[in-house]
Amino acid sequence: MFRKLYNWFDSRTGAQASLEEALYENIPGGAKWRYVSGSMLVFAFMTQMITGLFLWMHYSPGSQNAWASVYYITFEMEGGNLLRGVHHVMAQAMVCLLPIHLLQVVIEKAYTKPREFNWWLGLVLMLITLALGLTGYLLPWDQKGYWATKVATELAALPPVIGGLTQKLIVGGTDYGHFTLTRFFALHAGVLPGLLIGFLVLHLAMFRKHGITAHSSPHRPDQLFWPMQVLKDGIACALLFAVVVFAAIAEPVELGPPAEPTEAFGAARPEWYFLFLFQMLKYFDGSLGFNTELVGAIVLPAVLVGFMFAMPLIARKKFGHHLNVTVIVVIVSAAVYLTWEAKQEDNYYLNHPDDTQSAPYKKSKRFHEEVGRSEKEFELIQQLVKDYGIPLEGPTALQQRDPLTMGLRLFRRQCASCHAYSHEEFAIAGPASPAATSDSPGNYGAPDLAYFGSVKWIRGLLSNDSVTGIRGERYFGKTLHVAGEMAEHVHETLWAAAETEADRQALATQIEQVAWALSAEAKLPYLDYAANQEKIDAGIGHLNDDTLGCIGCHNYGDNEDGYVIDLNGYASVDWLTKMISDPAQTGFYDGGSENDRMPSFHSEATKLLTPREIELLVRFLREDHTLLDD
Amino acid sequence: MNEVKPKSRDTETSPPQTTNERRGFLSSAAAITAAALGGLLGVGPLAIGLYATVMDPLRKKTTPQKAAGSAGATGAKEGYYFVAQIGELDSHVPRRFTIVADKIDAWNFMKDQPIGAVYMRMQGEQIECFHTTCPHAGCAVSYELESQAYLCPCHNSSFKVDGSKLEFSGSSNPSPRGLDALEVDVQGTNVFVKYEDYFTGRHDQVAK
Repeated sequence: MFRKLYNWFDSRTGAQASLEEALYENIPGGAKWRYVSGSMLVFAFMTQMITGLFLWMHYSPGSQNAWASVYYITFEMEGGNLLRGVHHVMAQAMVCLLPIHLLQVVIEKAYTKPREFNWWLGLVLMLITLALGLTGYLLPWDQKGYWATKVATELAALPPVIGGLTQKLIVGGTDYGHFTLTRFFALHAGVLPGLLIGFLVLHLAMFRKHGITAHSSPHRPDQLFWPMQVLKDGIACALLFAVVVFAAIAEPVELGPPAEPTEAFGAARPEWYFLFLFQMLKYFDGSLGFNTELVGAIVLPAVLVGFMFAMPLIARKKFGHHLNVTVIVVIVSAAVYLTWEAKQEDNYYLNHPDDTQSAPYKKSKRFHEEVGRSEKEFELIQQLVKDYGIPLEGPTALQQRDPLTMGLRLFRRQCASCHAYSHEEFAIAGPASPAATSDSPGNYGAPDLAYFGSVKWIRGLLSNDSVTGIRGERYFGKTLHVAGEMAEHVHETLWAAAETEADRQALATQIEQVAWALSAEAKLPYLDYAANQEKIDAGIGHLNDDTLGCIGCHNYGDNEDGYVIDLNGYASVDWLTKMISDPAQTGFYDGGSENDRMPSFHSEATKLLTPREIELLVRFLREDHTLLDD
Repeated sequence: MNEVKPKSRDTETSPPQTTNERRGFLSSAAAITAAALGGLLGVGPLAIGLYATVMDPLRKKTTPQKAAGSAGATGAKEGYYFVAQIGELDSHVPRRFTIVADKIDAWNFMKDQPIGAVYMRMQGEQIECFHTTCPHAGCAVSYELESQAYLCPCHNSSFKVDGSKLEFSGSSNPSPRGLDALEVDVQGTNVFVKYEDYFTGRHDQVAK
């Protein structure tokens, strides 16, 4: 019955004959393990097609949606991380298999007559695969993909005359945006795989026409493709798949923070298999007067690919084959070396921990800081997404309402040239003071603003410790105030007068109470004021009685004779907003005479920060992390 | 058990009377027309698709953004954007200013978006203004106080505070030119900048 059905099927379709045609390929010298690389590449591509199709079912190109959908796939979709992980790892496996397959073909001399066309088809397949890698890198629309791909599309504009047009065509305009994503996605999921399938069919047809290149092993009999070679291919592909799945599980695929066109990512690197091209660009010094970058980015790679296309023709000459092998080995070694060198440069700071003053050290350190900053930003956006979900306007709209994300960015950009922020979780380094030159005033810095307005911070300000006290670097150490009245008062009046241990104890207690009273003005969300009401009341008493001599200069409560830094509402939202906006105003550094180089960030004359940015910064400094309204 | 008759198979796979028609591939008017038609059918849809895909980005104006009148700044010349008030500039250290304007991304209109950034400082009476995009390959440079230079995080390009190329001994500087200087227009206390993007990797500063 089954036999009958099969015969009917076969008579109508010719399936049996086709299958025999496909499987009973003669392999001179028999099945070998070294013939598996081609099948593995086909299998890898098939995996990419299938996993890619499923990713497509969940991916949405577009500036607002791309990152959001990839985030969903990676972190919320059941099995999504494995799906994207396998696609991600298999892509790299494919790029690793390519040179292996290519080297085999070259060494076995399988690219020469009569197989020229197959060699050319193979090269086209290689270029398409690399293009797939390049286009896929942008699709998650994270900082890394955005900035790395931006370099690639800038390079597309290098060729004279057509460069600018080419760039516009790829990017879909002059700026990165929706159309960059829609175009890259169409290329990655449609055009390039379509071309790859077409060329692969031709590649395989050509391969079947000429058969395997076997340098016959006389003692081994021929075998058919089925079953021994199929078995070997199958085992190799199964191993590859197992390794890829294992890698995807062992190291879950990552995602960077969402692309932000004006928040430059200082650690943009292409995917590792393009690092040799990235590194090569560094050696084409622009000082020669002509367009050397074009040479490094396009001409040289094009010449090398051109040479590879010419290899079958070169091989006809005497020693041509040897030349080809030599050049290919040199190219592959150079690529490996350049990749290694690129990694060395980025990791210089880890490998040479003592060479702290050299330019490579500083550059590599900045690179790692940027990587760390990007990881931190991702942690923050991940928490935001968990708490609030991603709004229609996209993930960056969420970031722009978050005091923590924006506070870190704004502080780094506007404050960190003077202030450090030595927070346990979100530290930002202060200025590394350059030597004074005619161009720069040299040694400077301002108080560390981590935990500003807290009991701990105020206690430190009122301490005479040479490192952690008011004249230490964390407070007035690098400002003109180090020699000012406040520092003098703390050192000479308060602490110098406390001669015995008991006096010092008493002073420390009073300072602690005053610190609580002042911090209570700030009402910081992370301190428990209710539990310390006694200290606060005592502190208020000291301030009103002027036990520590504060209100000679500062206003507090009923006392309005002060001329500098109002202590009413100290470090509160209103107080900080005023201080940042215009520190020269009444109640702060009145008229500016007491102000040591603190700029006005939002006043009549300057608008370095918008009111909204100041609001974010104020919340950040107070560690009030509630989102700003839209 | 084979029920298939070889005869019937033959008649199906090899149509009769083929000898005349196979004589020359393009020997008749019908053959030429058919070949041309075949070519046209393939190229036609491709041409229509390519036309739209190629022409749309090419015919768009280079900068789709309108200059925004933020911070109450009016009087901007064509192509100039408000960036800062003159009091915000330092005479030593270049400061980074974001340019805010309305932005169009394909079908979306977005109000007051950061569209780019510049570095500015006062040099005597003059304002020095540089694009933050590295002229080498388009990464963003940043001013490093410690080394008093603009450094690019990608391919080691670096620039002096005046924008010219910085030559480190023993390290290459692949940038083909110094930082791109931008034209500045001061009206009252408002500083406007003619903000444009330039092609990277070229010896001369050419606007996109």
